[in-house]
Amino acid sequence: MNILVLVKQVPDPEALVEIAASGRDLNIEPKFSINLFDEFALEEALRIKEKHGGKVKVISLGGPKTIEALRTAIAMGADEAVLIEDEAFAASDGYNTALVLSKALEKEVFDVILTGRQAIDADRGEVPQMIAQFLGLPHVGVVVKLDISDGKATAESSLEGAKEIIEVGLPAVFTAQKGLNEPRVPLITGVMKAMKVQIPKVSVEDLGLTRDMAVPESSKTRIVRYLPPKKRPAVQLIPGEPREAAAEAVRLLADVERVI
Amino acid sequence: MDKVVVFVETKGDEPRKASMELLCEAAKLAESGKFSAEAICFGVLSDALKGRLLSCTHKLVRFTDPELAAYSPEGYARALAGYAAETGARMIIAGATGIGRDFLPRVAVILGTGMVSDVTGANWFDDPMTFVRPMFGGKVFAEVAFPASPVVVTARPNSFAMDMPQGINGEYEERAAGSLAGAIHTRLVRIEEAKGDTVDLTEADLIVAGGRGLKAAENFKLIEDLAAAMGATVGATRSVVDAKWRDQADQIGKSGKTVSPKLYIGAGISGAIHHIMGMDTSKVVLAINRDPNAIIFNYANYGIAGDLFEVLPAMTEEIRKRKERG
Amino acid sequence: MDFAFTEEQQFFKRIITDTVDRMVVPKAREIDEKDEFPWELWKDFTKLGYLGLRYPEEIGGMNADPVTAMIFYEQIARGSVGFAQSVIMNILMGTYFVYRFGSQAIKERCLYPAMRGEKVATMCFTEDQSGSDLSATRTTAVKDGNEWVINGTKMWITNGPVADFATVLATTDLSLGAKGLNFFLVEKGTPGFSPGQVLDKLGCRGTITGELVFDNVRIPEENLLGAELNKGIEYLGEILDEVRVMTGAMAMGIAQAAYDEGLEYARKRIAFGKPIGSYQLIRAKFADMATEMEASRLLIYSAAWKMKEKLPSRIEAAMAKMFATETCCKVVDEVTRIWGANAFANEYNPQRHFRDARFLLYGGGTHEILKDFMGRLLIGK
Repeated sequence: MNILVLVKQVPDPEALVEIAASGRDLNIEPKFSINLFDEFALEEALRIKEKHGGKVKVISLGGPKTIEALRTAIAMGADEAVLIEDEAFAASDGYNTALVLSKALEKEVFDVILTGRQAIDADRGEVPQMIAQFLGLPHVGVVVKLDISDGKATAESSLEGAKEIIEVGLPAVFTAQKGLNEPRVPLITGVMKAMKVQIPKVSVEDLGLTRDMAVPESSKTRIVRYLPPKKRPAVQLIPGEPREAAAEAVRLLADVERVI
Repeated sequence: MDKVVVFVETKGDEPRKASMELLCEAAKLAESGKFSAEAICFGVLSDALKGRLLSCTHKLVRFTDPELAAYSPEGYARALAGYAAETGARMIIAGATGIGRDFLPRVAVILGTGMVSDVTGANWFDDPMTFVRPMFGGKVFAEVAFPASPVVVTARPNSFAMDMPQGINGEYEERAAGSLAGAIHTRLVRIEEAKGDTVDLTEADLIVAGGRGLKAAENFKLIEDLAAAMGATVGATRSVVDAKWRDQADQIGKSGKTVSPKLYIGAGISGAIHHIMGMDTSKVVLAINRDPNAIIFNYANYGIAGDLFEVLPAMTEEIRKRKERG
Repeated sequence: MDFAFTEEQQFFKRIITDTVDRMVVPKAREIDEKDEFPWELWKDFTKLGYLGLRYPEEIGGMNADPVTAMIFYEQIARGSVGFAQSVIMNILMGTYFVYRFGSQAIKERCLYPAMRGEKVATMCFTEDQSGSDLSATRTTAVKDGNEWVINGTKMWITNGPVADFATVLATTDLSLGAKGLNFFLVEKGTPGFSPGQVLDKLGCRGTITGELVFDNVRIPEENLLGAELNKGIEYLGEILDEVRVMTGAMAMGIAQAAYDEGLEYARKRIAFGKPIGSYQLIRAKFADMATEMEASRLLIYSAAWKMKEKLPSRIEAAMAKMFATETCCKVVDEVTRIWGANAFANEYNPQRHFRDARFLLYGGGTHEILKDFMGRLLIGK
């Protein structure tokens, strides 16, 4: 079995994220880790390998620091890793990200592609499905259980709370959801291997693309500026008798805040 | 005139709230004279639902292919993209529901365009169109410009107003996308409905939590009723857990669970820092406490300084009434 | 000068920080509250292989250099001091002399299982009347035929009551003072070797600290851990620097854990309508804490680097130990001030860091002794 895992290195969930004075950039505390959902994907890949034999290869698109995320994947047990190093593409939109990853995947032999359902920085949840479409493959999203046997897979997808049991032939793309598994902690032997391993890098030119395809001006979509979330204002006390206040509270929550 | 195509998602005999919001948005765009709006749906359509939708859109197209009766990413994407391409759609919009977010990216790639997901705001009249969407779990919002065409968008539920223009009487059309059989490689074996155990606290969008102010374990029923009416998860403070009114798993706070829901309702909770540290990143907080000086009001958007024994049941009733009204 | 960790060290730090966050941090409270050896966590954690940190790859270790080792010590202490002490005892003090001088049979019986977490090791130096003054050691080792007979009582022994084997400091001749000291291996089950009183400690709860009694304990010749007789103090010098710097690293782990608690509280606690972190006096505390922690870390890691490069490091190690541990005590104190009354509540963490930090003042050498020793080195006899 050849299992390919796509991972993204993202800022730590607790890293401070602040909008720069210009509003056009973010100042992010430089603490990074593998995207949480990609960890579930990687763990699942390792389990599939343990059960069926084969190889786990991890691919990431990023800058030079992304090597660390790939090292972590090797420490956990991945057999190979490769970095597509291009900061313009790495900072670009879902379409460009999917495009460059698809080009890399075209050169690979695989039965299963696993990746997280979304990256916790961009929160887009677009790339895996776009890759599936670029490659002409089926996909199953938001997977909480995956069984592989004989060239086909049975996946439990929890798109909307309810569980859909879906069968699909391989090769196929699966996006991992929380609850799929509990990612392992690397053994020291894995850590030692990962510390020494040489991870090959690939440029977008190697994949037949050019850097300027990913600059904001040439992209299908681009971020123009950043906006802060609304700060919690001082509490608004709702007056009136209990029943009145209750009705008004429900109105505010449903019609104004739109949270129910 | 630019054409807007809205994907209408249905659940049972109801349209999804997210789809309804977008039908409103599309109808308002049509009113401006600069856009024409159409709606697409797949699968079975009762007469009642059909009638309702035709008062919300100028044209409703239902795809009758049997392959589209159940959701499949490839099937839905092909049909929607095919229609959009054939009719020269300028915008394709859908609710950012599980299904919407799952298949719209495939639509974008089929049409050779990009997409913007889970938007909370849209500037349709800008050139290029711009959208606002959350990033980093909502810590930051991004304004995204979309110069490519067509524009493919999913919108976060509860982001657009439900103010439908009056007097719409839409045209109805049935179509077949055709040649779907060989194009769909996933097979839905069966659906297992959610067992009714609610979402875990740490992942819940809606939480109703109770504290010592409830006075006795049995009174937690008020919290449970409100939570059930809202589809929320029940939480508790440490003192309530220590008193064994609730399980440790329900505890929100520094030594319990840290939660970050869209809505947190805390009743009978004073707001000890221990608890605050576990919930203060909630998007909207409503606190109910008899004491107008309770600390929790410092961390709330809305507060009711009143008797929770009257407020909670009143809220539950109000929510149930609203649900019935649809 | 390149002050940065190498790419490998940075990677290692990332991994161990994450591992500690996932496995140890969630258990820290319980370990402190129960004050029992955390066997389950021990089993899970030792499976990962970190107990072989300092030993060669050929015998299943990681062959980590001193800098990498300090990174490890800092992180494990940040997770839980009670657990960290047990782990570090197996990694270093409890096994070093076995590794250095033990026969192959002894290594197979003791060292390799200790590296796998299958056996718990400990080191026995301190006695009721001898801590800083090792020359006052009264545990004796008398040669009788081809055996040594050990008699005495050791005190303050980390995991003494649960240890499978102990490295015991004993004198062959009371009149020789420090020059008569040697290390001996005593294994659990040897007649006459038994645990005594267990201590109820202020901090570092989760390690079982207590008395060990040696009553005519007979051990074979080969259990003398040393190439020559009466060179114990000299051999101790081989790991002295590392133990001192390691104590400093642990201090930074505790300081960081406390500092992070302080940060969260400063950001969330509201007083006079604003988070207290907006007030100057609170901000000043963070400025001071961060500066001294940075200085401590520079001392620790540069001392470790000198050890790695086999450059003289005796005085630097002592400096690192002293400065980092004093800094830690200041940090835990400041954090309890930031937390105000809530620091007094056992349900929160700052009180645990406050209690845990106290051992740093004497563990690895009291500051009074260290200052005297450093002054002597600096001024000359």
